[in-house]
Amino acid sequence: MADVAIETIEDVVCGFCGLGCDDLRVEVEGRELRAAGTVCAEAARLIRRLDVADRPASVAGAAVDLDTAAEAARHILLGARATLIGGLGTDMAGAGALTDLAIRFGGVLDHHASDGLFRNYASAQRTGWLATTLAEVRNRCDLLLVIGEDPAGQWGRLFERLFPEAPLFAEGRRRVVFIGGAPGETAQRQLGHADISHLATDDPVAVLEALSVLSDGRMPPGEAFGGVPAAELAALAEAMGAAHYVVATWNAAALDDGDLVAERATALVDRLNVTTRAGVFPLGGRDNIIGVNQLLLWRLGYPLRTAVRGQASTHDGALYATEAALADADVLLWVSAFRPEPPPSFAGKIIALAHPETVFENEPDVLIPVGTPGVDHAGTVFRMDSIVSLPLGALRVATLPSVAEAVRCIAEG
Amino acid sequence: MRLRLKGGRVLDPANGENGVATGAVRDIEIEDGRIVAPTDSKADAEYDLGGDVVLAGGIDLHSHIAGGKMNLARLLMQEDRRTYPEMPGNFCGCGGGRAVPTAHATGCRYAELGYTTVFEPAMVGANARGAHLEMADIPNLDTGAYLVLGNDDFFQRLLAAGAHQETVNAYVGWMIEATQAFAIKIVNPGGINAFKFNARKLDLDEANPHYGVSPRRVLTTLIRAVTELGLPHPIHLHGCNLGVPGNDETTLATIAAAEGRRLHLTHLQFHSYGTEGDKRFSSSAARIAEMVNANPNISVDVGQVMFGQTVTASADYMSQYRNRAIASPNKSIGMDIELDAACGVVPFEYRDRNFVNALQWAIGLELFLLVEDPWRIFLTTDHPNGGPFTTYPHLIRLLMDRDFRNAQLATLNKAAQAHTLLGQITREYSLEEVAILTRAAPARILGLKEKGHLGVGAVADIAVHTEDADREAMFSTTRYVFKNGRLIVKDGLVVELAQGTTHVARPEFDRAIDKDMQRWFDESVGLKSKHFRVADGELRGGAGPTILKCEGVAP
Repeated sequence: MADVAIETIEDVVCGFCGLGCDDLRVEVEGRELRAAGTVCAEAARLIRRLDVADRPASVAGAAVDLDTAAEAARHILLGARATLIGGLGTDMAGAGALTDLAIRFGGVLDHHASDGLFRNYASAQRTGWLATTLAEVRNRCDLLLVIGEDPAGQWGRLFERLFPEAPLFAEGRRRVVFIGGAPGETAQRQLGHADISHLATDDPVAVLEALSVLSDGRMPPGEAFGGVPAAELAALAEAMGAAHYVVATWNAAALDDGDLVAERATALVDRLNVTTRAGVFPLGGRDNIIGVNQLLLWRLGYPLRTAVRGQASTHDGALYATEAALADADVLLWVSAFRPEPPPSFAGKIIALAHPETVFENEPDVLIPVGTPGVDHAGTVFRMDSIVSLPLGALRVATLPSVAEAVRCIAEG
Repeated sequence: MRLRLKGGRVLDPANGENGVATGAVRDIEIEDGRIVAPTDSKADAEYDLGGDVVLAGGIDLHSHIAGGKMNLARLLMQEDRRTYPEMPGNFCGCGGGRAVPTAHATGCRYAELGYTTVFEPAMVGANARGAHLEMADIPNLDTGAYLVLGNDDFFQRLLAAGAHQETVNAYVGWMIEATQAFAIKIVNPGGINAFKFNARKLDLDEANPHYGVSPRRVLTTLIRAVTELGLPHPIHLHGCNLGVPGNDETTLATIAAAEGRRLHLTHLQFHSYGTEGDKRFSSSAARIAEMVNANPNISVDVGQVMFGQTVTASADYMSQYRNRAIASPNKSIGMDIELDAACGVVPFEYRDRNFVNALQWAIGLELFLLVEDPWRIFLTTDHPNGGPFTTYPHLIRLLMDRDFRNAQLATLNKAAQAHTLLGQITREYSLEEVAILTRAAPARILGLKEKGHLGVGAVADIAVHTEDADREAMFSTTRYVFKNGRLIVKDGLVVELAQGTTHVARPEFDRAIDKDMQRWFDESVGLKSKHFRVADGELRGGAGPTILKCEGVAP
């Protein structure tokens, strides 16, 4: 294979973290793939593929063909008392096929990254919120609040995408205030043309509450909030009132009290919109969780953490969360096509539609390795803002089935 | 596949046939999904209609059935889904909800009412791919979407820079093609954009705080663009100042601004409010209907308010931000979207004992009854904003039965009764007029030549109703519904799920604009224009759209 030419594919769309970068460059050499040019560490790692033989489908660890594995999976689903369809790292076609499967065989649907989503929903469903999307932040935001730890570790190009050097509308030096952890090197580099400040605190909820009160023109009782002096918060509140477009962003998955952060940030943004403009920009979106959630909303009328049984669906954000649902389940259908995310420990039967490099604690009862959307086959994923979705292309000829194909094999027998 | 529907009274206003009036019955023959001239050939199936009323499948030209804002509404109003669970008789376990039903329930409920084509009237370009995915999951309906345009920064910049109309036309053509849209919708022209710059209202001749562009200029420029591109449907306009008392003057000025060119005013009820009376809220339906009657270039749909709980979802974030103060239950979602548009989702409960709500109800009915030409007015509740589409049978009875209407009126808020002339209006719609409102006229204004009628060559989308003097009962159910010649509803129950198609319009335009679009998306939006574009194969699970080619007219 030494004489295989290297082909470079430009403008590759990345579907892994939910930020939706679509300007990647990938070098293809036979079946080998490697990212080149501007790319974050996570995308580089997940795109990197070697020219190795695919792991075969297996039943109880013994290699079988796809049809045999699908038949064994079907047999397990038919005999299941309670199935959790978990992981759900899949594109829109896979999500649709899995929803059909849940309708046919019954099952609870949850995504492996849904903790952050439901912390945000605690607020979004109770009071609603005023939100914004990437292109608006890029061009309008003149004061960005980053709440919690620096998110650049998880979204490597976040600040590059949010704060380009030449926005359409935001004037003068744009401000970024980190409330919580300090900005790391990546954030500082990408925000080199903005004014960065840091309010160190381990209680961002208290800081946000105080900012809301101050934005309302009142003085909260106390000299410091979450360890931040009142005077600094008063100055920030004044700056927010004078700003044209304030954006609050946080990663609820990484915050123990993410539900409270979401609620207080929502309240603050509500208050700011009385006199100026502001929006929340919650972070998330890993492995197309937003797309899967969107599809469930239009197909079932409920978000993730929904059970489909006997031709009817019920939703319960606590009862049907993966950990709780597994306690009642006897079968886990685990789906992770974007990354080698192993299934959680589980004593019942496991059917895995998994990335071929997944390392399992115990060999699944049925394993069907699947291709990765945007690497092995085309597909659609949603960005974290739930509005924009993107077409993923194939970077090489697929040798593994997609999740949708594997699920159809299982369902149709 | 040949079907024969035997002995129906055919009501087909587009072809001047009224079997209900004449009592004549005849057969309709279907071959491979189309209506054909009667033959002596043996049919694969025959249906004895016994004099039942045969209509073309209903066409709803304005109903919010798909897109991100509907999912936000579903998320916000989980109680709607829980209160209206899956109905029996369906076989997929994924239906439910009333104000914001699931895709499955939307397709099934519409089919049971005899509707076979529904247009989503507010698709945001940034959300087009998602909206099309959702529409593909709606069974039994053909769909299409109007692209929200006019508040996007690219367009506002063009106008501010004094761009030539040809450039605007190229941009509109590019956007229609890229988003797989059927028509252009303007929502609060320029107002959504102005709200992003913190303006809280924008009148027809008020300047956008950043671009200096007025709503009038947005409107007239886009009217000219769709005319010159040859799009079949005129500009579909949700005007300025939705819901604001005194917006009647804006509406009248907007009609005048069209200067004789075709313009469709949507959910006109929400734009027909005066400021008379001690409550400073009054009906201007008579004034506005008079102006609509006098301007044959104008078409309207009503957006009738129906009492009960619903949730409103609109791209008009400027107005919805104002309305969130009266949300019921008290929660709402708003979102600025992608230098493109926005959305606002606000739950409402329209109450019959509430003065404003009762008068809104009466204003809608006044418009229905005072606009004279049934070819220029369409039956809508702006689903779900005025009420869910499942209330259509009740609305039809209100239009067709004066005694029923007046009996309803008598139960409403007393002050509202005193503020409406509804009780004095004697008009009752005929069945033929209802068929025009819900079939023939929408097909005509949408340029769908093969729909909305039962002539030879038409798509065999057919609804059969058993006549009943209680028109609500009559239109609440169907004896048979055929979609593309396939039986999908029998005795009011869905018996099969058919895959519909999505209608798109394809105008010719100057493709030199592509270079500008690439630069705009790269530099400002932060997304490649080629990834914004939705390919044909992304529609309807790979089946692609049904394309209506447009022939532009000389400017």
